[in-house]
Amino acid sequence: MSKKDHRFVYPRQVGFPVADLKLQGASDEELALLSKESGTGLSVDELKRIIEYFEKKGRDPTDMELQALGQAWSEHCCYKSSKVFLKEFVFGIDTPDVIDRGDAGVMSFDGEHAYALRVESHNHPSAVEPYGGAATGIGGIVRDVLCMGAQPVALVDPLFFGPLDFPQEKMPQGVKHPNYLMRGVVGGISDYGNRIGIPTISGGVWFDSDYLGNCLVNVGCVGIARKEHLLRNRVGGVGDVLVLAGGYTGRDGIHGVTFASAVLTETSESESRGAVQLGDPITKEPLIHACLEAAARGLVRGMKDLGGGGLSCVVGEIAFAAGLGALVHLERVPLKEEGLAPWEIWVSESQERMMLAVDKNRLREVLDIFQLYDVPATPIGEVVAEPVVKVLYKNINVLEMDLDFLTGGPLYCRPLAERAVPTPGGETLPKEPEDYEKALMQMLAHPNVASREWVIRLYDHEVRGSTVVKPLHGVPGHSSHGDAAVLRPVHDSWRGLAIATASDPWRTSLDPFNGGCGIIDEACRNLAAVGARPHSLTDCLNFGNPENPEVLWTFKESVRGIGKVAGDLRMPIPSGNVSFYNEYHDRAIHPTPVVLGCGIVSDARKCVTSDLKRSGDSLYLLGPAHSHMGGSLYYRLHNGEGAVPGVDTALLASCIEALVRSIEAGHVEACHDVSDGGLAVALAEMCIGGQIGAEIDITALGDARTDLKLFCEGNTRWLVEVRQDREEHLRQLCAGLPLHRIGTVRGSAVDIKDGDDIITAKVSEAEDAWKGTLWRLLG
Amino acid sequence: MRPRDVRVCVLRIEGTNCEQEAYQAFADLGAQPEIVHLKQLTGAAPERMRRNLEDYHALMFPGGFSAGDYVRAGAVLAARVKSALSKNLVPFIESGKPVLGVCNGFQALVELGMLPGFGGPMAAAPEAALGTNDSGRFECRPTFLKNENKGKCAFTATIPHGGVIMCPSAHAEGKFILPIEQERELLKRLEDSDQIVFRYVNPEGKRAGHPWNPNGSLDDIAGICSAQGNVMGMMPHPERVFTRYTHPDWTRNFVGPRGDGMAIFESILEYVAHRF
Amino acid sequence: MVVAEVRIELKKGVADPEGANTRKALELLGFKGIEGVSTVRLFEIKFAERDTTKVKAQVEEMCKRLLANPVIQSYRIDIR
Repeated sequence: MSKKDHRFVYPRQVGFPVADLKLQGASDEELALLSKESGTGLSVDELKRIIEYFEKKGRDPTDMELQALGQAWSEHCCYKSSKVFLKEFVFGIDTPDVIDRGDAGVMSFDGEHAYALRVESHNHPSAVEPYGGAATGIGGIVRDVLCMGAQPVALVDPLFFGPLDFPQEKMPQGVKHPNYLMRGVVGGISDYGNRIGIPTISGGVWFDSDYLGNCLVNVGCVGIARKEHLLRNRVGGVGDVLVLAGGYTGRDGIHGVTFASAVLTETSESESRGAVQLGDPITKEPLIHACLEAAARGLVRGMKDLGGGGLSCVVGEIAFAAGLGALVHLERVPLKEEGLAPWEIWVSESQERMMLAVDKNRLREVLDIFQLYDVPATPIGEVVAEPVVKVLYKNINVLEMDLDFLTGGPLYCRPLAERAVPTPGGETLPKEPEDYEKALMQMLAHPNVASREWVIRLYDHEVRGSTVVKPLHGVPGHSSHGDAAVLRPVHDSWRGLAIATASDPWRTSLDPFNGGCGIIDEACRNLAAVGARPHSLTDCLNFGNPENPEVLWTFKESVRGIGKVAGDLRMPIPSGNVSFYNEYHDRAIHPTPVVLGCGIVSDARKCVTSDLKRSGDSLYLLGPAHSHMGGSLYYRLHNGEGAVPGVDTALLASCIEALVRSIEAGHVEACHDVSDGGLAVALAEMCIGGQIGAEIDITALGDARTDLKLFCEGNTRWLVEVRQDREEHLRQLCAGLPLHRIGTVRGSAVDIKDGDDIITAKVSEAEDAWKGTLWRLLG
Repeated sequence: MRPRDVRVCVLRIEGTNCEQEAYQAFADLGAQPEIVHLKQLTGAAPERMRRNLEDYHALMFPGGFSAGDYVRAGAVLAARVKSALSKNLVPFIESGKPVLGVCNGFQALVELGMLPGFGGPMAAAPEAALGTNDSGRFECRPTFLKNENKGKCAFTATIPHGGVIMCPSAHAEGKFILPIEQERELLKRLEDSDQIVFRYVNPEGKRAGHPWNPNGSLDDIAGICSAQGNVMGMMPHPERVFTRYTHPDWTRNFVGPRGDGMAIFESILEYVAHRF
Repeated sequence: MVVAEVRIELKKGVADPEGANTRKALELLGFKGIEGVSTVRLFEIKFAERDTTKVKAQVEEMCKRLLANPVIQSYRIDIR
């Protein structure tokens, strides 16, 4: 900005680029232009508030101060459009197990240990540069967990793309093909995650044409720490030294957060390359070791990662969180290249950097640790008593702001516009299929159902040697996917940490409230299916432009649904992320809330997997026989319309407890939650993993139409395999709950009757249909 | 010497990332492992952090992506070890102490010229290569290994000859390659001198191509040892199957809590205890 | 300043999955008439030293000690 010839910009003659901005008397149009040219993304009203602040101080802001405010007040950093709803529905859910709500949430795991969790988006950078965007997404989320003092132990990555076979000639201008994006994103996650040695154990890939112009790349991380090694994201006290550790600072990633808070257009690619950071996993890997070693030796008083907004956000936040201020000598920041203006250093989002607050008497010990690992660590400033951030560059004051002003970004109550949702009664039933077997095969082969092996095998899901339930399991060579992964994060204990993700864009887009409820149900279902008690959640809320009242209403309703079910189940959400402006040319994506759920397994040696185990066992459906089908895959494929199923939270809680107790007692051989494609698809997947058939009769599920019973995706449902001599125990534990015996494990076919024969499909044929899709589409 | 007195050096540089579970495997067997950064062995670390290689009885190169694997997998680690540690490492090997390389560690041992070791403990140039998997992809999958060794190898003493163990693979560059012009001859030499340790097989113990051989390795070779039998490298990860509960199919095929990988670490400790 | 360009190629007969898979990806994107794709690595190394003979000898040593594995790779050095 300071290089531009602009009538408000007065460069100082100091030998480096810094300018004062004389903004008094600027018109609204001029302010809007200034916002655009400076890349700060500040609104005219926000600029006026800034002008007023500096008028009171009796001086003009510097370009650097304006840039810092642009970062701090961006949607990405201060949640200005979303906070009112998060406060209303989510923040209040609390249990004694919540330890911290920092950059990552921290929950108690056992007496001595805690786990940290967070999920966030890296959507826009990945749409422009998929490999680098996704890799740095992983890098960022790992730092969020690391700065709580926790060792990252698991990565998850829910991804959303346009259809892989979308015709190239119909692709919108300036948009990359989903096939290219997916290869790049998955490659970036694989190369980065594998290199830093953190297993990628859960996630999802989902396709819909709504994501053509704006793919979603969400990344989550879970870490583990001894409770006494946990850190806060704030300095310890006046005199603490601020140590910048990790990578050098360069021009990469300048304006990342303002980029994340804008709508994509066809020129985004050429304009925004600078906003995509470049990750370096081999700086990150030793950085993790060094930070954790320093933390474990009690040498660190506070730690925070440099993510969105770079130094400009981290320095203010880490000091202000302790009610203190900071003085920074900016020329001490080690640079990748010469010639960066002070404001560029201040807002750069170069990767692999951490800020540590260190007692000045222990500084030498900290620097020694970093030196052993060949990781740069540089004292760049100190903590001061007055809550002000002051930045000197070569001893010239280039920034000085009160922290309550800098970090006190605006909060908006933007207008909402309610829209109608499908209600019960207004059902349009699809035509009943003539060939049920064909209908099942079509669903198994559907890109949103088919095996994810193409992706999963590219991720190391076993590094660290503690993955007890893996993303793929069953007969080696024929494995199918499970519902949740389970780690044994503490070596001398068998207590397990289960991790699952959930999202359902079709349902959240039809009915954001019930859809929001449903994804919490799904996360809990997934956790319970392996034998885990749901314990906490973290969410990434991907939506369009919040300045569009209808988009904001879908956001509010989704959050209300999430908060309702999570609150009823007493599952806190100690961290989260909101990603707005996911639009391409004013066309918003499906409202896409994504949750990562964590559950506790009392003994990981009791976990079950989804593959059927042995001939002669009985099969039960636990949960309601049927429910509404709006937003289901079956309706989507066969043009049905109807209400989105809601969640009965009391039933959900009782079913989870009964199921988990049954698994702990060893009564359950296999379990799979019923979701996309309903009962028929869940059963087929269980058969594929176990390489054995099943004979079921769904007459027991009532007299609804066969297709509705077979493909219903209602909430709170599981398919359970039980040895015959344990059936009575299962019935007792599930007394009073809907539990239907539907058949037996037997033979080599998925054999389904509804009185009459409906489907007799060889397991091997089902396997071919289910496994072939992604290989066919991606090669 | 008793197994619990065996001191194991688990070597780390930036990007090695399987050192913790390797350490744990030795620790769980009661030995005395220590994770040591290469700089601690070469005198480049602050004084109080320095260590001597000769103080250890066994050395392990764990898996990971040392130095990012950016030139070739394991090449940078190998070049650094060769230039700064070979004067200690060669006598270490010659004294019969065991050196194990897993995954990236195997790649490093090959790049170091320590395996196959046709030209002595540390050949001047690599004698083999671990090339990009035929699929061109990173592959994380269960693999089954048949113990082909007739008794030379110090690391498989507790696994019966012809026995099959489950050991997961996770790598992008694991295809064992010998110089093409001498391929048959060198392969025969490996056979004749009992240097082939593991071959990839299917769960029934038969050689079966991809995916059971995940990388297209020559002759399905998954692991080899030196002519003296005290240096071994293998692509799959025994430390990840130290217990049965991290096998991919333990919920359906439970045969006791002992994992298939434990035997390799036990063999090392027994070998050292017996010999020193 | 002297610049050495080191070109590392896979030896004839060594499989090149990266090249083969890149070819497949290009063909999936609709590119036609591709005869072959091979992976080549190129390192550009800059020297303050002006004596090209000395540089050449040093780069030879670099190839032997790190940049190439003679079992699968050949190298070519160009000094500019």
